[in-house]
Amino acid sequence: MTEEPYRWLEAIANRREYVGEQLKSGSPVLGASLPEGVLMLGVGSGQSKVFELFDRHALAGLGHPADIEKIRQAAIDAAHVEAFTRAPEDVSLRRLVGFGLSPQLKNNFEQIFSAPFLVELLLAELGEEPAQDLFFRLHYDGSFQTQMGGAVLAASQSEPEAAGQKWLKEALQGKSNRSEAAEVLLQTWWCVSENKPLTGQIPAEAERKAGWREAAKGRVVEIGWLARHNARPARYQAQTLSDLGL
Amino acid sequence: MSHSTLIAGDFLSLLAERQLAPLRVESVSESFVQTQATTVFAFHFAEGVLMAGDRRATAGNVIVTDRVDKIIEIDSSSLLAVAGVPATAFEMARVLQTSFEYYRRSQLQPLSLPARVRALARLLRENLPMTMQGIGVVVPLFAGVDQAASPPKPQIYFYDPLGAQFQAVGYAASGSGSGTIRSILSFQERYGQPMPSQMKLGEAVRFAVRLLATASEFDSATGGVNPATDTYATMKVLKSEGVETVTEEQQKEILRG
Repeated sequence: MTEEPYRWLEAIANRREYVGEQLKSGSPVLGASLPEGVLMLGVGSGQSKVFELFDRHALAGLGHPADIEKIRQAAIDAAHVEAFTRAPEDVSLRRLVGFGLSPQLKNNFEQIFSAPFLVELLLAELGEEPAQDLFFRLHYDGSFQTQMGGAVLAASQSEPEAAGQKWLKEALQGKSNRSEAAEVLLQTWWCVSENKPLTGQIPAEAERKAGWREAAKGRVVEIGWLARHNARPARYQAQTLSDLGL
Repeated sequence: MSHSTLIAGDFLSLLAERQLAPLRVESVSESFVQTQATTVFAFHFAEGVLMAGDRRATAGNVIVTDRVDKIIEIDSSSLLAVAGVPATAFEMARVLQTSFEYYRRSQLQPLSLPARVRALARLLRENLPMTMQGIGVVVPLFAGVDQAASPPKPQIYFYDPLGAQFQAVGYAASGSGSGTIRSILSFQERYGQPMPSQMKLGEAVRFAVRLLATASEFDSATGGVNPATDTYATMKVLKSEGVETVTEEQQKEILRG
């Protein structure tokens, strides 16, 4: 049955629909390149959205916790084997995603008799300078987009994601402070997760500020910080809202 | 590498799975003269643990270099001091660095101090064939923060070449110059004013540099530390908050003061 091409296409389309439906309620994750480092942020239940991968690498994701965990473990394994057999400097996000995670995800998505990964991911690599910071937006089917510097957003649906990303870039203009940037990311998180418009009738700043605080009640704001100027090889630091004065 | 000693989530088990054993035994000719590194020590002082080492590596009666760093930061709460054959010791340090960080990142919690101490013991046991052949002998010191203590407290451990581990109460030393170091530390701990455990950072650093300079007068394999010629020790401090390096510049300042 599945040998017939149109059946296979239909099966793949059904899978897309199924994955999209499953990811619909996922809480977005965000990242921003700042002069002092890279900020990754998500709102979850604690150690569920934002993770350290390697010395200069971090991951943030939404989706099924078991699937995020599988991808996270695969990325950590690959990075550490690479660092041990070669050198920590040889671990690169481009190779990790391009030759490791992306083909695995694609393969898994197209194997229609196995369960697809229910994940949308954001990966970051800290550069020597902000312009060298690298983000990968990796999708459940293995496709990905790259971006040097700036700010990125991963959400379950493409339209709010695009609108959120556009607004995020504008809102972060001139904000180099970590606390200010985290505030903007949280406002964006609230707008996207609550389906608030980010073009035209955008909620007022006071509403956005109150909105994310209310929505984050009883949840954990997970913040990962890749510090650019740190003498230790491991640059990742888990932070809390109070660490950032929020 | 014995599979029976592996634990789930450990980087060594991942290496075994990928057939990447970190240490291998090679036969060598009897005429081979191996490079060795001495002398290292650690002692408790008022603010934590100070770990220091000389800078010399020798092969027989040849000084290979006077610029070796023998105190290695394994992660933010562990230090390793290497005495013995650097080729094996540095590889052990690399395995531990990767292993501890891998565990912390993959399991989302740091490895406990007992597990860290045993991880090094396991590497020493796995090095047993080389130790028994008289090559590749490593006798390290290890310092780590005991997070289970309240408040968290740095501890010192020393090993024998076969991997037996012992916790040091006040101090530990290893390498060819360790006899001199241990004698002075013992004397100072019993009769000194202040005792090493009561010293502040500046006093402890000054004391450590002088210990190495004294050891180098009695042991030709200890060297590369001589304030008169502006050469200083490799030195790190482990506090409950983490690792700090005492740079050559800082040692110079302290000795001047």
